[in-house]
Amino acid sequence: MIEIVAEKGRKILPTKPTFHVHDLIMADQKMNNNNSISCMGITKTYRNFKAVDSLTMDVNQGDIFGFLGPNGAGKTTTIRMLCGLLSPSAGHAMVAGLDIIKDSTTIRKIIGLLPESSGFYNWMNAEEYLLHFAALYKIEGSTAMRRTRELLESVGLADRSSAPIGYYSRGMKQRLGLARSLINEPRIIFLDEPTLGLDPKGQQDIQKILLELNHEKGVTIFLSSHALGDVYSLCNRMAIVNHGELVAQGSIEELRKLVGGSNGIVVSILNSEGLEKKLSNLNYKFEINAGKNNKIIDISIFEGISESINEILDSIKKIDLHIYEVRRSEMSLEDVFFQLTGTKEYSQENTIGNNHKLEVEQSSEYN
Amino acid sequence: MMLYRHEISGSFYSWRGSAWIIAASLIFSLVAYLLLTDKELSLLDQGEMLFTLAEVIIALGIAMSAVSASSAISSEIESGTLESLLLTPITHSQIAIQKMFSIVTTWAILYLVSIPYLIVVASGTNLALSAVLYVGLYGTLLVIAISMISIVISWRLKSSKNSIMMTLMIVLILLAPSLFFGTSLKKTDFGLALENINPVSQAMNSMDNILVDNEQTYLQQISHILPVIAFTFICTLIFVVFTRKFEVKSAE
Repeated sequence: MIEIVAEKGRKILPTKPTFHVHDLIMADQKMNNNNSISCMGITKTYRNFKAVDSLTMDVNQGDIFGFLGPNGAGKTTTIRMLCGLLSPSAGHAMVAGLDIIKDSTTIRKIIGLLPESSGFYNWMNAEEYLLHFAALYKIEGSTAMRRTRELLESVGLADRSSAPIGYYSRGMKQRLGLARSLINEPRIIFLDEPTLGLDPKGQQDIQKILLELNHEKGVTIFLSSHALGDVYSLCNRMAIVNHGELVAQGSIEELRKLVGGSNGIVVSILNSEGLEKKLSNLNYKFEINAGKNNKIIDISIFEGISESINEILDSIKKIDLHIYEVRRSEMSLEDVFFQLTGTKEYSQENTIGNNHKLEVEQSSEYN
Repeated sequence: MMLYRHEISGSFYSWRGSAWIIAASLIFSLVAYLLLTDKELSLLDQGEMLFTLAEVIIALGIAMSAVSASSAISSEIESGTLESLLLTPITHSQIAIQKMFSIVTTWAILYLVSIPYLIVVASGTNLALSAVLYVGLYGTLLVIAISMISIVISWRLKSSKNSIMMTLMIVLILLAPSLFFGTSLKKTDFGLALENINPVSQAMNSMDNILVDNEQTYLQQISHILPVIAFTFICTLIFVVFTRKFEVKSAE
């Protein structure tokens, strides 16, 4: 047990848990480490089953980090290890510069977790519930009350705060769970399927809250979700895991490059006689896509778009084609996800951050 | 002690939460009424009447604490609330200790409710103080011990149904010599051995000596008190060792 000890060794605060001043200084120094979350080969084994296998990844301070993977990929187990709920079987990890095993009590003070399925004390109302958790975090009474009211307001439960939680819908409970995970003003939030069961307005509200927290308070967000749209719109970096192993990590652009996908443009042109012959004079590689009743033909151009789009459009005009519409074409996160989670063999060196070449072997189910 | 306050408020929330106090009062009233008015029971020696009531109070206290302690952790696991609790800076041991204290508080309330009944049944004798003191002493030690062992079972089995069944079996084994063994079985080697190692039997024998046989010196009771203290100490050790660390697996 750590105790706050005065210079001459006299105990000045005998209450538990207490800390040596030295430990507090060390903890503060560690927390200033730039990497918010750093996993170094963490593994979790249940008997002969490896739920997480040598996972190595980094989440930078201030990131909104997407953590993707199919069901049973080890996402929830990883989050539980990082939050100190599970001990890794091998490897180690740091959260805010603190060791997840040695400093788990300190970590719990500075993180928030919204689990996939949260339980609630149904006989309490939302305000009582949040105040209860504020007290467990030893937040002083008036601060706890102010924070509780602010959080209930921001998650849209202020007008229902006096109703017993037992009467809440799944979506309302999810909002309350988010409020609970924020009661201690965490520096890092782990969210496991935060928008599950929420209506579109609820999903939008949660996205808004997360963006506000990230932009205004610099909170690092670790988001595990199957809602790829949420991940795409919120996250600046992401990791994809499969069968407990890291498949790839990086920004969406880096992941697209990793699977060989690239951005391009789609030019819709009015169909006319001799279209294919005219197009053969175009100096860009293109694909003709299905058109709309053949009156409008879509042409996808993926190579050479580093040149000005105007030049491409001028080239099309020169061959006497009428442009109806121009739009960007991007490989979706869904495509990237399917390609990467269909990978049969994977080497940890293939992560984007290490600039190694990826040799993707795609399984037939996604081809 | 926030979790302790939460547990207590949960136990007494609304009239349904407090219904057990009314039920306990009714049981004590019925037992005391039968002892004092029933033609056959009223023929008993007053010390024996008091001993019977003391047995009922302690047995009820043990049963209540066993049931509520055996679901203390498993119900949190089953309702998915343990995870959020474990995420706060509160330690695993603190969770277990505060839950144990809330159960002991429930016993304390039951004990306070029982005191007037003990005094009424002891009226006219000099046994009232001894009855109140020894029911308090043995009841508290046994409730603490049973609560701790039940919390450990709840912590390990992670299922309220299984842990309640397991705990009730232990309680039945502990209560068996006092409640179910006939005089002849008690006199066999097996019966004697079981009584000697059984803390509940030791507590009941001690109260039998005090209330029925009128052996009221502490020195005479030391051979009965020590096994109860030893049992509580062993349960405390088990409690400390097994509630240090707890993991919430993904499937839970």
